[in-house]
Amino acid sequence: MRNRLIAFAALVAVSAPQLGGQSPRRVNFVSCPIVQDTPTVPCWLSEYEGEQYYLGIQTDISADFDPPYLGHQVLVEGVVSDEPRVCGGVVLKPVAISPLPELDQSCSVIRPAVPQFTVPFAPRPPGPSGGRLAFDPPPSSTAQLKPPYPARSFELFYDVDMLVMGRHSGQLTEIFNYAQKIPSAHLKVGAFRGATRLSNGRVLTERAGISKARAEEIAELFEGAGVARAKIDTIWRDDPEPADGVDDWRSRRVTVRVEP
Amino acid sequence: MMATLASSCLLTSLMWSSTIAAQAQRSSRWWSPGDGRTLPATVDYTDPDGAVGILNTAGAIDTKGHPFFEPIGTNGRACVTCHQPSDAMTISAATVRERWRDTNGKDPLFAAIDGKNCPNLPQDDPASHSLLLERGLIRVFLPWPSRKADGTRIDPEFTIEVVRDPTRCNTDPQYGLTSSNPTISVYRRPRMAANLKYVTAAAFGVSPFIVKNGQPAARDPETGALVSMNMMADAREPTLRTQAVSAAATHLQVSGQLPSAQIDRIVAFESQVYAAQRMHRGAGSLVEPGGPPALGPAALASGSTGTLGNNTTRYVFPMGEGWKTLPRTGDAATDARNAFRESVARGHDVFFFRTFWIRDAMHINSVGLGNPAKRTCSTCHGMHMTGMDTVYGWMDTGTTNLPWAKEPPVSPWATQAADLPLFKLTCKATVAPHTFLGRVIYTQDPGRALISGKCNDIGAIVMQQFRGLAARAPYFSNGSAATLRELVDFYDRRYNIQYSEREKEDLVNFLSTL
Repeated sequence: MRNRLIAFAALVAVSAPQLGGQSPRRVNFVSCPIVQDTPTVPCWLSEYEGEQYYLGIQTDISADFDPPYLGHQVLVEGVVSDEPRVCGGVVLKPVAISPLPELDQSCSVIRPAVPQFTVPFAPRPPGPSGGRLAFDPPPSSTAQLKPPYPARSFELFYDVDMLVMGRHSGQLTEIFNYAQKIPSAHLKVGAFRGATRLSNGRVLTERAGISKARAEEIAELFEGAGVARAKIDTIWRDDPEPADGVDDWRSRRVTVRVEP
Repeated sequence: MMATLASSCLLTSLMWSSTIAAQAQRSSRWWSPGDGRTLPATVDYTDPDGAVGILNTAGAIDTKGHPFFEPIGTNGRACVTCHQPSDAMTISAATVRERWRDTNGKDPLFAAIDGKNCPNLPQDDPASHSLLLERGLIRVFLPWPSRKADGTRIDPEFTIEVVRDPTRCNTDPQYGLTSSNPTISVYRRPRMAANLKYVTAAAFGVSPFIVKNGQPAARDPETGALVSMNMMADAREPTLRTQAVSAAATHLQVSGQLPSAQIDRIVAFESQVYAAQRMHRGAGSLVEPGGPPALGPAALASGSTGTLGNNTTRYVFPMGEGWKTLPRTGDAATDARNAFRESVARGHDVFFFRTFWIRDAMHINSVGLGNPAKRTCSTCHGMHMTGMDTVYGWMDTGTTNLPWAKEPPVSPWATQAADLPLFKLTCKATVAPHTFLGRVIYTQDPGRALISGKCNDIGAIVMQQFRGLAARAPYFSNGSAATLRELVDFYDRRYNIQYSEREKEDLVNFLSTL
């Protein structure tokens, strides 16, 4: 899952637009990402069943949207919005994307910039910035808390079949810093194996064993950062999570509960 | 006949004198361990493009008894052996070759431990030292699998096979991967022991978990403070102190523990010395009042550290506007200098603003930019004043991993043999393949992966400083670019940038002034 991985991400996601009181139209599919160049930063698109969808633009490390990779297919889970098309694509909002781990060199399309496609929102150019990152960092969910610190749960969301990546570092740091505030804090790590119901009815299930690997990795990471291993409990469930096509990206997750 | 003989004698005498003079000049440039000279507060050394300047902010250094300059180990080397002031505090391949000629290969620089392709090769044969002589490479030998800070072995995500072993060290029964003490040998350029306040700054981007892969960041074993992990090609040493201890044990073959007072003095010296080009044969003085603010060693000494410069408020290398457009005076020398300065200014803009598609570069395309990303050189080389990455600076720009690493052609007509080892690394079925290179990767140097054991770190090398470049060819960790032009050509090929000839020339001129 390549939106900002903060604990309240789920709250944002479930507040998807309700069009005329109807359920929003969702599309979940696996396809190649496409780069559409523009006079400024490139757009990222993907095609499914004859329609072209807009996923986001290139900005920088501060962005919610973490663009996909050419050379890999991408799992797209999004809600069709009524916003004007961007770069020729129907805008998905919110959208969660995950590159699939195996290489697929057929995903290689870079479309040249053409006058009719410009990006309406480009918080930084393709080169040097104007002196700040594209987006402000997300507010810490724990920085304002005062002792005695209560137990607190965090969620990390993953790409399909993947372990921790660089973009998890901020949230791992927040968990670590919170645990450091609590004398003898205990970490309870729970890991899950995700599944996504695609729009064509197929269910894309993560590989067996991924939940155990995630749990053990998280424990190892916190141990490596200085948390005593005896203070970290791990559990995992290797049965795939149920998938109904609604925000299934949330099933690819680890929960970390920090307890006094 | 007599006239011919006299001429011949005169010529021989002149040649001899000239050889002696050249040797004398070289010997004054060369700092032998323990020669006890004073290193002035500022000193310039000629290099192929002009002169590199060395600045000691603490003033002149009496090197007699100084552990950076004394042969404190058992093989006669000192730190200064491979960190020569005349070579911007590293050592160029040209200097290595001169040293071989001047000493018949007897200089401690050529010590068997790592100044030779493999310790058990014949010591007096230059072929045994070919990688040092031709590319300026030192053998770096590492246990495999590597060990964590607590001494336990890592469980690597990949297996290693030796595909090609021209140095015969990786398959050697005593020194190789299948020996009783499994060891991998890779060959790397020594890094600059100067401008290190930038290299060690732990500011922008430093956090308990590495922003490139989420792994725990290294800490100073003495203070517990987070470190930048930017010092070595594979980031294996966290601080100048641990690096000094490690380097003394391996490169200098110090027996026993390096005294703390000696470590203090080495670190103090390394922290006060700055190196950058100060004079240029094309651009003239690089440190004139009103000139580019980034140039010269004094600018480095006063610059701010830990600063991201990939922006138009700080710049990676602040060059000002003074050289953008210069007058033509009618004086040929002045006009040539001004034209060169304008080329340098244009080269800066190529470096900073010229976009291209950065593709399949691990730890840049995977860090929130997507693959490919339309960006510039300064996206990766973004640290203010050095062009390194600000922290956790390892990336795979293709210098050691195939298919991009420089390899000689293999054909019935080829005359050049491969000189670097080649390894086949296979990511295990239990882990995800390398994001951009898949499950099987061929590499001349696995880089950071030799320490982390991570597939995605294969061939990722910590960025080097862009300073003092004219004094210290060749470039890249494996010395695969003999000149700055070859360096530019590598990137042009790697990323299909399609630089114009003028852009290449401007970029080379710019780099040569840093």
